[in-house]
Amino acid sequence: MSAVTGETMPVGAVPVVQTSRLTKSFGAVHALADLDITVGEGVTGLVGANGAGKSTLIKILLGLLEPTSGAARVLGHDIATEGDRIRQLVGYMPEHDCLPPDVSASDFVVHMGRMSGLPATVARERAADVLRHVGLDEERYRQMGGYSTGMKQRAKLAQALVHDPRLVFLDEPTNGLDPAARVDMLQLVQRIGRDFGIAVLVTSHLLGELERVSDHVIVLDGGRLLRSSATADFLGHTGGLLVEVLGGDAARDQLGEALAQAGLHCRPRGPLVAIDPPPEALAAPGVAHDIVRDTTADLGLALVRIEPDQAHLEDVFLTGGHA
Amino acid sequence: MSQMSDRTGVIHDLGYRGYAGQRESTAALVRHLFLTGLRHAYGLGRSGRSKVLPFLLLGFSVLPAVIVVGVVTFIDADSLPLSYAAYTSQLQMLTSLFAAAQAPVLFSRDLRHRSIVLYLARPLSAALFALTRWASLAVAILAFALLPILVLYVGGLLAGLDVSEQTPDFLKAVVLQVLLASLLATITGVLASVALRRGFAVVASIVVLIVAVGVVLIVQGVADFEGIAHVGEVAGLFSPWTIHNGLAESWDAGSAIGDLDGAWPAVYVVTALGLVAAGLALLAARFTKVGAR
Ligand SMILES: Nc1ncnc2c1ncn2[C@@H]1O[C@H](COP(=O)(O)OP(=O)(O)O)[C@@H](O)[C@H]1O
Ligand SMILES: [Mg+2]
Repeated sequence: MSAVTGETMPVGAVPVVQTSRLTKSFGAVHALADLDITVGEGVTGLVGANGAGKSTLIKILLGLLEPTSGAARVLGHDIATEGDRIRQLVGYMPEHDCLPPDVSASDFVVHMGRMSGLPATVARERAADVLRHVGLDEERYRQMGGYSTGMKQRAKLAQALVHDPRLVFLDEPTNGLDPAARVDMLQLVQRIGRDFGIAVLVTSHLLGELERVSDHVIVLDGGRLLRSSATADFLGHTGGLLVEVLGGDAARDQLGEALAQAGLHCRPRGPLVAIDPPPEALAAPGVAHDIVRDTTADLGLALVRIEPDQAHLEDVFLTGGHA
Repeated sequence: MSQMSDRTGVIHDLGYRGYAGQRESTAALVRHLFLTGLRHAYGLGRSGRSKVLPFLLLGFSVLPAVIVVGVVTFIDADSLPLSYAAYTSQLQMLTSLFAAAQAPVLFSRDLRHRSIVLYLARPLSAALFALTRWASLAVAILAFALLPILVLYVGGLLAGLDVSEQTPDFLKAVVLQVLLASLLATITGVLASVALRRGFAVVASIVVLIVAVGVVLIVQGVADFEGIAHVGEVAGLFSPWTIHNGLAESWDAGSAIGDLDGAWPAVYVVTALGLVAAGLALLAARFTKVGAR
């Protein structure tokens, strides 16, 4: 399903992650307590103060830790019995340092691709692609020991994406980054969910950091579910979209007219086409998005991006009184 | 997700390409990890500096074999001056050093830098990962011990030694080396996975492999001299080298050190295999524990 329109999964589809009474105790510490959550497609933010149980949840879903009790399924597979299958389909960017210092990012990402089952030539191609996407250019041939925190985070992200996973767990990807690098990283996270079509579960201990890039936010507190708010539901309601195409104002207006003919109300906003929430007949999940895609293709225009109208997203939080 | 794959054909600017092709089997993953580890044990695919020590040690251990072959050829001898197993035993210092120095490459790095987490988040299980790492080290050590006796064997045959005499001795020595390499890989691997710092791991391995064999030999010497039964045999169980040498002697592969009769060879083999099995279980547990942190 598309994350672009911000829709939740279609009825009957398998959730990306589903837990049921998931519990993990370390002696007297209850890291997770009877946790029931459902994660859908798109970007899901997992937010909670330090010690809330975010990392523990991810490690259990990956099979790195065993739960004390309860059950969970990842992409329809049971964590208790199908861990190896899950680990084929999932990418993981851990919270802490995990890069050998005496290897280049390029060599390391190729090797990790192979360890996920990519044939040699594919691993090399995909490693180069993915390193470009995360923004490691010439540095990728240097040993990672000399990298800045930002570069290390990018290399960690690249190894999580190299095997084209269905889902990635990104544990505190903005940790240790300066404000500018933080914005870059969040944009990258958003692109992974929306443009790469990979479901994302991303954590942060900063309340309010992930709302902008997430379709859905889950808040944990002391191992318990505090709130699971579907920003996606709201967008599904109104479904406002922003579209950008190459070719300047002429291309923008050409697209706007064509979309109007297809039944979508839209207007120019700067270089973008802003599409109003679609009328009843076109309000079904993904329909407006598909119209944009097909119309652009028919006109032979190069689509730069489609994204939910951020203005609407912010409205949700303003009216919802969120941090 | 599915929409994305449709879309990639249209939107060139987004640029992300998925991969819908074949994924390799577990066996292929193990093979890749094994070969990478084996190469790394000799510094191949690593920095130039890391090749120096393994190849220097290898050179030192092959050199005497080349000299022996030269002498055998020159004086036209009809046998080697020492058996293959005895040669292996003579080089225990170099082989122990190789194992001690290279085990951290395979057993400390992933744990110290925590890249183990990235491996364990992939399809191979912790147990299979540990087993594969161990196999890389064991085969690296085997290759180290095997090369010089291969030089002896091939050189000896070229110098006119009798094939039917040499071959059984050579093959016995190889079998003993497999057991020896397994023991050395287990001991140095476990120590490296616990010590993490390379210096500690190397020192601990050298103490266990080189100092222990000295202590065992002293105990065996005393027991022999005093004529005390079984003490020497039991002491021999405490070093992979005395296990190797004892078995070599009892199997008539000739190491001239130690001697085993009765049920002792069986006890030695069972002890060796038990130690390897226990070590592998320890390694798997260690990787699992660090991977969950
Ligand atoms: N291996 C462990 N041993 C003991 N306690 C742990 C361990 N891992 C996590 N915890 C505890 O579990 C709780 C949740 O930790 P964690 O999942 O790391 O939280 P978060 O990632 O949200 O910061 C914390 O109280 C932490 O101290
Ligand atoms: Mg954490």
